[in-house]
Amino acid sequence: MKRRRFVQSLIAAPATAPLMVAQDSARPTPVPVVQAAPKLETGIADDAGNTTPHFFTPPQLAALRKLSDIILPSINGAPGATDATAAEFLDFLIGQSLEDRQKLYRSGLDQLNTQAAKKFAKPFAELETPQAETLLSPLRASWTYDPPADAFARFLREAKQDIRTATMNSREWVAAAGATGGRRGGGVGLYWYPLD
Amino acid sequence: MPAKDYDVLIIGSGASGGMAAYNLTKKGIKCLLLDAGPLVDFEKNRILRPVYELPYRGFGKPGKLPHLFQANEFNANQWVDEKEVPYTHDPKQPFNWVRVRMIGGKSLFWARMSFRLSDFEFKAKDHDGFGENWPISHADLSPYYDQVEPIFRVAGRKEGLAQLPDGIFIEDNSPDSAATKRFADSAKTRGITVTKMRRALGNGQFASSMNLLLPDAMATGNLTMVPNAVVRDVTVDKNTGLANGANFLDRHSRREVHVKARVVIVGASCLESTRILLNSKIANSSGVLGHYLHDQFYMSNSVVATIPEVRDGKGGRGLVGGGGYIPRFRNLDKTKPEKNFLRGYALDFSTGGTPDAKYFPQWGEELQKTLDSHRGTSFSCTLMGEVLPRFENHVRINKDVVDAWGIPVLHFQAKYGDNEFQMAKDAVQTIGEVCHGAGFEVLNRNDKMFPPGYSIHELGTCRMGDNPKTSVLNKWNQTHDIKNLFVVDGSSFVTGGSQNPTMTILALSMRATDHLAEQMRAGSL
Repeated sequence: MKRRRFVQSLIAAPATAPLMVAQDSARPTPVPVVQAAPKLETGIADDAGNTTPHFFTPPQLAALRKLSDIILPSINGAPGATDATAAEFLDFLIGQSLEDRQKLYRSGLDQLNTQAAKKFAKPFAELETPQAETLLSPLRASWTYDPPADAFARFLREAKQDIRTATMNSREWVAAAGATGGRRGGGVGLYWYPLD
Repeated sequence: MPAKDYDVLIIGSGASGGMAAYNLTKKGIKCLLLDAGPLVDFEKNRILRPVYELPYRGFGKPGKLPHLFQANEFNANQWVDEKEVPYTHDPKQPFNWVRVRMIGGKSLFWARMSFRLSDFEFKAKDHDGFGENWPISHADLSPYYDQVEPIFRVAGRKEGLAQLPDGIFIEDNSPDSAATKRFADSAKTRGITVTKMRRALGNGQFASSMNLLLPDAMATGNLTMVPNAVVRDVTVDKNTGLANGANFLDRHSRREVHVKARVVIVGASCLESTRILLNSKIANSSGVLGHYLHDQFYMSNSVVATIPEVRDGKGGRGLVGGGGYIPRFRNLDKTKPEKNFLRGYALDFSTGGTPDAKYFPQWGEELQKTLDSHRGTSFSCTLMGEVLPRFENHVRINKDVVDAWGIPVLHFQAKYGDNEFQMAKDAVQTIGEVCHGAGFEVLNRNDKMFPPGYSIHELGTCRMGDNPKTSVLNKWNQTHDIKNLFVVDGSSFVTGGSQNPTMTILALSMRATDHLAEQMRAGSL
């Protein structure tokens, strides 16, 4: 009932407002019945909760979390990939991506776990960081325009770039960079709405 | 209401169509201008947003615009949706067709690099024997460049170079940084000239037909502009053989409308204009419509270097920053071909950024320290190479695929050849040497090209020429086959050089419409 009365008042407003002005122009200008909608501050999904992973298996996701923390750890108090939930975001992003990219990530993460088991008898996620870094040697190769022929090297190269982007474009990173006056990564851009 | 007859129908509102409207309406000619896209309110259609608020954190929706390397999640909606207006190609021969459908077209987003072509392009065959000459020379077009440059407020520095004719510039006397001077000095020892960039200032925010041409045309009272009009074909009077209008579909409702005009000008961008003519089955007695497709191959970050003495925050004022342009310097002396390729390339460069993390084979804290040390020390350049116009590189209609308005799409068959590959190798090698000579440390060289189309400078598919058997247009951008049909965009180019084509497109459109207006006044059209 309340809602119906509210809607009726909105419908009536444009017709009645000019009429009131016409009745007595000496009176102060009335406050328009229809006002601009108040600007309410809203949050984003990441304020409300955490991404629910769906795409990677638990061992794959655990390996990606460890890899993310190695690629971009928290340095001097600045947020790192773990703070930015980069691995969970990439679970979402890769899950939406084309099949080739999905396969590259899945096989790359499996490879990390396989190599970790072979060399240290543990999953990649449970390795000490110096141990884990011994498995990332393909990242020591110079960058070339053509991606590496080896799929594992290709995965590591893509993952390095993606983890950094997912972190530096996160709210945590942008907020920290803004607070310190830094200009690294993320930031603000002109967003285009879909054209009518 | 009976349909109105216009003097001139103009299809497309970008640089070429906008200039046609600007020039003709000022002469009192009643024009109707159609554009496939909307009139965009830039205040309402764009908003400043932090990247973390975007649904994909700036990565963009996977698979949305696979051919658009320029697209990101902020600007994804400004480009033509490939699902709405598809095109086809052999998967092994991709073409990155980058399109904008809005009033103003691509002139809303261009890089504003503003150069003239020289007689090294207009008379290229005379120089090296390849291909064809244009039917005009720089002297023919120069009076029109002279008018276009002040409208677009081109800033630059006069250099007196034959391969890059000077124009009517707002003189750029800004000082170069020490790093830029050192690079220029190193280049000079190799016979390479470094110039200031030549750039259209426009009115600040834009240098577009939307703000510099169309408002003046509207002010004459002689322009009717209809957005959201997707032209399918140009219509021809069966009795006279002359163009008499066009069919278009309303972008929203798909309602079909026919418009009439005494003269039709197509300026919908090189490949959309070609598509309209091919779907109209006109202006192709030569059989070359759609052929000789060429662009300029662009290679971003073809050489990336760092400037050692400004590392660790030592880049004080005047030491680093700014950039410049290297006009073509290869094969200028026709008596001494100097390389294993024809023609040449240009580069633009900048100093003072931070190299991308991908160039450092590190991660974690080690990488972060390196990036901190290299902040503000970067040199990078974009290579822009001439692509030879070849008959076999072409577009044709694919009848089996239609766009959202039921209009058959283009099929592309185009690839770069050995001339372009050799040119790219030479450029990367040479600029790497110039960097070394300047004391820069080269981080990466790349001589691998993006697919054709990346430069957004498609040219040549309705080329002009004196011979109706080997060209679509005459020297006035008028089709050989139909005298009241003109094509005024980049499709009319015979060769493209390495210079950005927009100034030439504007000058050609102004010249063609001057000629058209004179013919109309004389009663021959």
